[in-house]
Amino acid sequence: MAAMRFTMMLAMLLAAAVPWLARAQDQGFTNRATELKERAAADSATLASLPENTPVKVLARGGGWTRVEANGKPGWVRVFHLRFPSTVESSTSGGGLAGLGSALGFGQSRNKQATLATTGIRGLSTEDVKNASPDPEQLRRMQSFRADRPSAERFAREAKLAESRIAAPSESGKGDSR
Amino acid sequence: MKGIRLVLACALALAAMNSRAIDFGSIINKAIDTGRQLSDANREVSTDEEVALGEGLAAGFLGAAPLRKDPNLQRYVNRVGKWLAMHSERPDLPWTFGVVDTETVNAFAMPGGTVLITYGLVKRLGNESELAGALAHEIAHVVKKHQLQAIQSDKNSEAFASLGKGLASEAIARRGSDPVGLKTWGANAGVELLKNGVFLRPLDRSMEYEADKLGVVIAARSGYDPYGLVAVLEMLAQTKSDGSGLSVLDTHPAPADRLAELEGFVPGVEGGVAQPQQVEARFRKVVGAAP
Repeated sequence: MAAMRFTMMLAMLLAAAVPWLARAQDQGFTNRATELKERAAADSATLASLPENTPVKVLARGGGWTRVEANGKPGWVRVFHLRFPSTVESSTSGGGLAGLGSALGFGQSRNKQATLATTGIRGLSTEDVKNASPDPEQLRRMQSFRADRPSAERFAREAKLAESRIAAPSESGKGDSR
Repeated sequence: MKGIRLVLACALALAAMNSRAIDFGSIINKAIDTGRQLSDANREVSTDEEVALGEGLAAGFLGAAPLRKDPNLQRYVNRVGKWLAMHSERPDLPWTFGVVDTETVNAFAMPGGTVLITYGLVKRLGNESELAGALAHEIAHVVKKHQLQAIQSDKNSEAFASLGKGLASEAIARRGSDPVGLKTWGANAGVELLKNGVFLRPLDRSMEYEADKLGVVIAARSGYDPYGLVAVLEMLAQTKSDGSGLSVLDTHPAPADRLAELEGFVPGVEGGVAQPQQVEARFRKVVGAAP
């Protein structure tokens, strides 16, 4: 009986520790066998071959490539060849499934629980938004910052943003291109 | 004497109630009508109605999370947003962008072209192409009328049935005047949709994936690095939900799933941009200088 209680306590402690492990911000893994490149380009030199599930330390993200350190060696890996520790669950141990449920799009009724259980984080909750009094003054203020076409065009030229003609994705592109 | 005064007061009150009742009648009808019209999934909502609805939603949202007090940042985000929207399929909407002051990480598109992005998200971004990726995803929702479809969908019909009634009782409670000082009933319907939670429900996964792809295209058409959104998703994959229910991790599919959906798509878009830009310097200057 005592042993069972001890096992249970250990399991609970481990469960509580999981979100902390997931919090490691810079930790990732390769999600397939891939290459560590010298530069952020497919035609650059290959520094190492990385098997699937190689742990990497993320140093910087940039476009289609991520700068990482793998086995102590810095280089670049394609962003799509990386995965990160699961972070889908909500930040409270009790809210794990609720967070997952809503992330999958199954409504949010259980999130209230998660909100109550989370302390010390100043964020906006669904209840905050539902209970707020509308603020038309803020709306008008926001609209006063609108940009017109000429200012947007000037702004784009300053950063050498050149327009391209690219067709919209086909209607069939509803999540079946995996 | 006392009795006479009482009778007089009662008569005056009754008269006042009577005249007000007439006003209420038309107001209630109008409100119920707005609710019924919006809940009819087959009815095409006019652009004006769509804009008004979005303004009501935005006014409600801003009541919970005010604008970040940084005019430079607000103007900057509006320029990026307008430039992107000009390369969308609905360039002529009154596009309006706002950074709201909350630590929650997310962005929200209102029907009709109002987009709110949280400061919690903005400060986690690394350059302008990432901001463009996030804004273009929201612009894509507006272009595809995803929120409008969700509002009009069957599963929300119950909330709609009470919408007319809710608006009417709101009007009565506030003596029949425009309850929030917004011009139209459409706007007040927007406020109500926020209160009853319809607007805060997550969209279908297929809509999110569609907005990701169209968003990548809109950013690329505008000259930005099409991997901007990918980089945002990579950042989000390393971020935890704050458990608020309003984090992007609560309201969207998991970043890893969204990345997997984009893997076969982005490389095809990449070739269409001659000189993709990430634009880091001015992003750092504006966001880094935020008070």
